[in-house]
Amino acid sequence: MTESSRAERTVTVTMAHGLHMVPCSEIAKFVRDFDGEVRIRRDNVSADAHSVFDLLQLQAEQGALLVLEATGEGAESIVDGLARLFEAEFHVER
Amino acid sequence: MIVKQGIAVSPGVAIGQALALGAEEFRIPRRFVRVDAVDTEIERLHTALDNVCAEIARNEELATDRLGQQYGAIFGAHLQMIRDPKLLSEIEELIRKRHFSPEFACSQVLRRYAKELQSLGNKYLAERAADIFDLERSVLRHLLGERREELSQLMTPVIVLAHNLTPSETAALDKKNVLGFATEVGGHTSHTAILAGALEIPAVVGVGQFLADVSGGDMVIIDGDHGEIIIDPDEDCLERYRHTEERSKSVAERLLLLGPRVSETRDGVRIKVMGNIEFPEEAEACKARGADGVGLYRTEFLYLGTSEERTEEDHYQAYRKVIETIGDAPVVIRTLDLGADKVPGSMRQLFSTGENPELGLRSIRVSLHDQTLFKTQLRAVLRAAVDGDVRIMFPLVSSLIELRQAKMILRDVKEDLEEQGIPFARNTPVGIMVEVPAVALLAEDFAREVDFFSIGTNDLIQYTLAADRSDPVVSKYYNSADPSIIRIVRMVVAAASSRGISVTVCGQMSSDPKFIPLLVGLGLRQLSVTPQAIPEIKEIIRHLTIPQAEEIASRAQQLELARDVETFLRGELNKICPELVK
Repeated sequence: MTESSRAERTVTVTMAHGLHMVPCSEIAKFVRDFDGEVRIRRDNVSADAHSVFDLLQLQAEQGALLVLEATGEGAESIVDGLARLFEAEFHVER
Repeated sequence: MIVKQGIAVSPGVAIGQALALGAEEFRIPRRFVRVDAVDTEIERLHTALDNVCAEIARNEELATDRLGQQYGAIFGAHLQMIRDPKLLSEIEELIRKRHFSPEFACSQVLRRYAKELQSLGNKYLAERAADIFDLERSVLRHLLGERREELSQLMTPVIVLAHNLTPSETAALDKKNVLGFATEVGGHTSHTAILAGALEIPAVVGVGQFLADVSGGDMVIIDGDHGEIIIDPDEDCLERYRHTEERSKSVAERLLLLGPRVSETRDGVRIKVMGNIEFPEEAEACKARGADGVGLYRTEFLYLGTSEERTEEDHYQAYRKVIETIGDAPVVIRTLDLGADKVPGSMRQLFSTGENPELGLRSIRVSLHDQTLFKTQLRAVLRAAVDGDVRIMFPLVSSLIELRQAKMILRDVKEDLEEQGIPFARNTPVGIMVEVPAVALLAEDFAREVDFFSIGTNDLIQYTLAADRSDPVVSKYYNSADPSIIRIVRMVVAAASSRGISVTVCGQMSSDPKFIPLLVGLGLRQLSVTPQAIPEIKEIIRHLTIPQAEEIASRAQQLELARDVETFLRGELNKICPELVK
């Protein structure tokens, strides 16, 4: 495994309603085709980003700090993309 | 063959096919698949999930077009949920390793997720459980396809098994084809118990977890006499129960023939046996069994299973129906006896989910808190009372001040009716349920201010012995035969007779044959029992003499332990009418 196959970034939840159902599903959708592992950690609770149910259980409200971790081919761009989603508060173009 | 013990709440034996209420709308026909069918079943699961995805995607498009992107996004989220790899792998694992049917596996996993969300203590997430139930319904619809059987139109008679039957589920059930009920939770006063009593079919509740042990379509026996359920019985067991079923039918038929006979002791003392009812239709059952009236008309059904407050007219029509059926005999209407959380409309927000609802805002306290609700009911009772012998009964009174408040509101209602020129019964007798120990202690004071007492043993025992009988861990502490209970009943009867007012026992205790000689011996001359029990109770009374009953009561009072009292009473009943002892 090379250096570039692992990436990590900390983001802040800015959405007024926190990481609710729709953002969770956007995350799962975004990482869907990524073969490696993507986890989102809040304090010591870690969720599989592929699973909406897991993500919901983070209960990340506005202001929560989340660590995005990806491992595998293209980890850096996955983390980048996720961080952009958080910045745009998930107002994604369809 | 698996035998499970629960709480017997409605007598009789039912034998039939299981219908496990896994989802709210559909019957899950079977819970397990054959080992060699696992691969095809998983394929079936995938096809169904693909179809669900396609359906959700169509809905997403529609919603986005018509309502905007933010609405479409909700379906988008559902789509991601159903595609959740964790969900799929957990469902597949249940099918592969435990041979669950895809329907059952989906239901199990999704329901667990819903429960997890509900238990996080976050209101927003708890509400997402509804989204998961929605998903469960669509998955089941696609899995079952055309084969699904609506619960409202069952093809064959079944035994309904559920975790806990909700009022809306029972409302949707095709009751003609239900042979019996068994639920994992619940107690004597649960909705299932009351419904089974009303339908006169056997039921066992509080069984504990058993739904995972039964597949839809399995043969199940409900033994409502002993509180047992038997899943997949062997031939011997089945034969035995078929025999019991036949025999109890013939005893019931014989007793029914005795219905019209007067209920009096061998030495000619009249003991009135009345019926406890919940639904207006049950008045018929009381009449058919020769009841001396309705001793307890619970009115909670008027509040349950509806999201709106009932109108005065709704109440009036229900009461009229009972009064017309019963004719000249007394009908004791009990005012609302529910926790505030069960009352639709305005009360909801007032109710805080207290740690201990049994000691919280319930029953008469709700009525005094929301006087509009209370007045609506009282107006309807007073109006209906014009045509019959109606009596009003307040439940769970705990102090004189509450009783006086309730009576004052009743006076206000009468004044209103008077002013409006609406006909009503001016002199409707007013009584209270004696179910809080404080009232039993002060029974003489209460007796001065009411026209009658009715001892509600269910709550009285619970409050006296501090034990919830619906909680299997402590239900052994709940004992009708406890010497303290006998003494309390004696005190209340003495207070009532010193003031010359009537007293009835209307709890479960009076429907239990072994307590009848004791109660008569303690001086009770009126009992109110579940309609089914009327012929049996009458039969016992017709075998008794007053001195004999008094002797039994006096000997029972010398015993120190509930266990001994129970054994003694059972033995005495056996001597009096051996054919009735089960």
